[in-house]
Amino acid sequence: MKDLSVDNLTTIKDLTKSDIDLIFNTADNFKNILNQPIKKVPSLRDITIANLFFENSTRTKLSFELAEKRLSADIINFSSSNSSVKKGETLLDTVQNILAMKVDMIVLRHSSPGASIFLSRNIDAKIINAGDGPHEHPTQALLDSFSIRQNFSDFKSLNVLIIGDIIHSRVALSNIFCLQKLGAKVAVCGPSTLMPKFLKSLNVEYFKDLKSALSWCDVANVLRIQLERQKLKYFPSLREYSSRFGVTKKVLDEIKNKVILMHPGPINRGVEISSDVADSKQSIILDQVENGVAIRMAVLYLLAKKIKK
Amino acid sequence: MNILIKNTTIVDKRSKDNNSNVDILIIDGIITEIKKNLNLDKHNSKIKVIDIENCHVSPGWFDFHVNFCDPGFENRDTIENGMNSSVKGGFTGVQIMPNTEPNIDNKSIIEYINNKSSGSIVDIFASANITKKANGEDLVEMYDILKSGCKSFTDDKKSISNSKVLNLSLEYAKDLNTLIIHHPSDKELINHGVVNEGALSTKLGLKGIPNISEFLTTYRDIEINNYSNGKIHLSYISTSESVKLIRKQKKSENNITCDVSIYNTFLDESKVDNFDTRYKLEPPLRTKKDIKEIIKGLNDSTIDIITSDHTPVDLENKKIEFDYADSGIIGLESFFGLLIKNLGEHVDLGTLIEKISVNPKQILKIDCPEIKVGEKANLTLFDPSIEWVFEETDIKSMSKNTPFVNETLKGKPLAIYNNSKFKIC
Repeated sequence: MKDLSVDNLTTIKDLTKSDIDLIFNTADNFKNILNQPIKKVPSLRDITIANLFFENSTRTKLSFELAEKRLSADIINFSSSNSSVKKGETLLDTVQNILAMKVDMIVLRHSSPGASIFLSRNIDAKIINAGDGPHEHPTQALLDSFSIRQNFSDFKSLNVLIIGDIIHSRVALSNIFCLQKLGAKVAVCGPSTLMPKFLKSLNVEYFKDLKSALSWCDVANVLRIQLERQKLKYFPSLREYSSRFGVTKKVLDEIKNKVILMHPGPINRGVEISSDVADSKQSIILDQVENGVAIRMAVLYLLAKKIKK
Repeated sequence: MNILIKNTTIVDKRSKDNNSNVDILIIDGIITEIKKNLNLDKHNSKIKVIDIENCHVSPGWFDFHVNFCDPGFENRDTIENGMNSSVKGGFTGVQIMPNTEPNIDNKSIIEYINNKSSGSIVDIFASANITKKANGEDLVEMYDILKSGCKSFTDDKKSISNSKVLNLSLEYAKDLNTLIIHHPSDKELINHGVVNEGALSTKLGLKGIPNISEFLTTYRDIEINNYSNGKIHLSYISTSESVKLIRKQKKSENNITCDVSIYNTFLDESKVDNFDTRYKLEPPLRTKKDIKEIIKGLNDSTIDIITSDHTPVDLENKKIEFDYADSGIIGLESFFGLLIKNLGEHVDLGTLIEKISVNPKQILKIDCPEIKVGEKANLTLFDPSIEWVFEETDIKSMSKNTPFVNETLKGKPLAIYNNSKFKIC
């Protein structure tokens, strides 16, 4: 069986198309296992994994933890609320202390872009980036594409729309890189204030109008919207955002094409997406969550294979 | 110390002997003879003879912006180390930025620095803050501070956002015949940015610093200076738009000067790809387009000074996440080797030397003697074509934050002479 071309998963940018295919094929196998009565395999029995979450997370942390447990890894959890970070210890010191307890892999969530890349330059353990500020969230992008793959035979000729806060979103950036590597066309939609100034450098199309954007796409990934970031309001109100960019049954009824709807969660019902749409047959939101475990199992398994014991 | 410099080429556009190969005799700190094949009584053992291949000599080099971190951050560097770094880099004079703790916003800190550096071969001038603790609001006691030998006022990289305060500082400085140095940057437009805004910042998810945050303030500063009828020096220019604005202003009025950090003359933003904190700088590394305009500005006299922006940062503040890392590179020791290597083909040697010797001193109204008989000897000896490898042992600073270790550089300072003292670099 093939190996990944990378030693860590810090960014989608580092992955080749065949890396992504390998992760997907491995995830297919794990997904089958997850649907059997005995969901646990002994693949990572001698591996110890530390989940280091320096930022709040519920679903990503649970998903990783479950993936690790299904693979029979030993795990330790560490989150910023009980960390020594507040006591002035550096990230590198914190991680090196944990590694001194013979930990093989690190899953890192951190607010600073490039944090996992910085760590990978300074430590030996395998690292999986579970979100680094507005930079990347590679496993989310992989599970999103994996979920799309279950609905379409091919990524080529597929149009994927990402709606919402692109400028601050690691999910958007990783999704753009991942989908483009797979051959899909990507467009974004939302107020200009939430778009990177140099959006064109990402080779994505921009729609300022939701209806025309939805008419263009096969799949729409709706991002969670937050009004306040660093005290600067990027748009006037959630109410106004919702009336311009909220995905509702009404707007979906106005377009001719059928759109598959996704959301990385957690959902603000009634803001970026209405409840009836989120719970409709068009929505694959819960499939994403289910696939998240399989994808993370695949990534953990493939990286663990590279550990020289 | 008395020395005879044999077979040296003078690089001083003001001198009648510019570009000629001569011998220079210096007795008791004064140039006493300049001629070819100067003969000395061989038994005159009190005169040290310097005879180095491809030796060039210019007015002593002066770095317009350095940080010696003393007082306040002595774990990063000290005045004593800073002087050693200056000698190593071929500088006979430097201007310290007021980024100390406490700030240089009163006479006593300048007197502390003067005491520490008195009698040195390197002339040290401390620039004082424009506003108290660089708070951007309250003017310092400029009249009192000037008595201690300070030549300029600056809040260094803390741009004064209150236009009225900048206007008042220019008016007040005008009365005292002193210089306001200001770095144009708009804090709100920077909005916690850490790298140049562009394709790279977008790809890396790092907050970008747009060009407009600099050139909008450059425009404001030019107009406030015109309104104040003052004289302003804009520092650390990094964008093509700012260079164009300053060029235009210089054509109509002789009331503005500016400088550029050496790193913005040859390094572009691609260096920070992969989150390399060694290249995290303020202002950030920009694009090739900006570099092209900066080089044009160096050649057409829009940009007056090139500075090393010597900024020691301890490892603890560099070997961390990019967002949290401090900006800056130590620059004195590697300055000239980088200058010739990277700009030598774009700007002629005489012009480059002018921007690191005569111009900074003239802008600060510091004595800058010509290389001629009867003048005080304040000189840097250098070889502009030798190639050498910059090694960690060349660093005199306590902090080692430079990406250039093990890099082959071109051009090297050889020795300096100033205040009747001679030192090998």
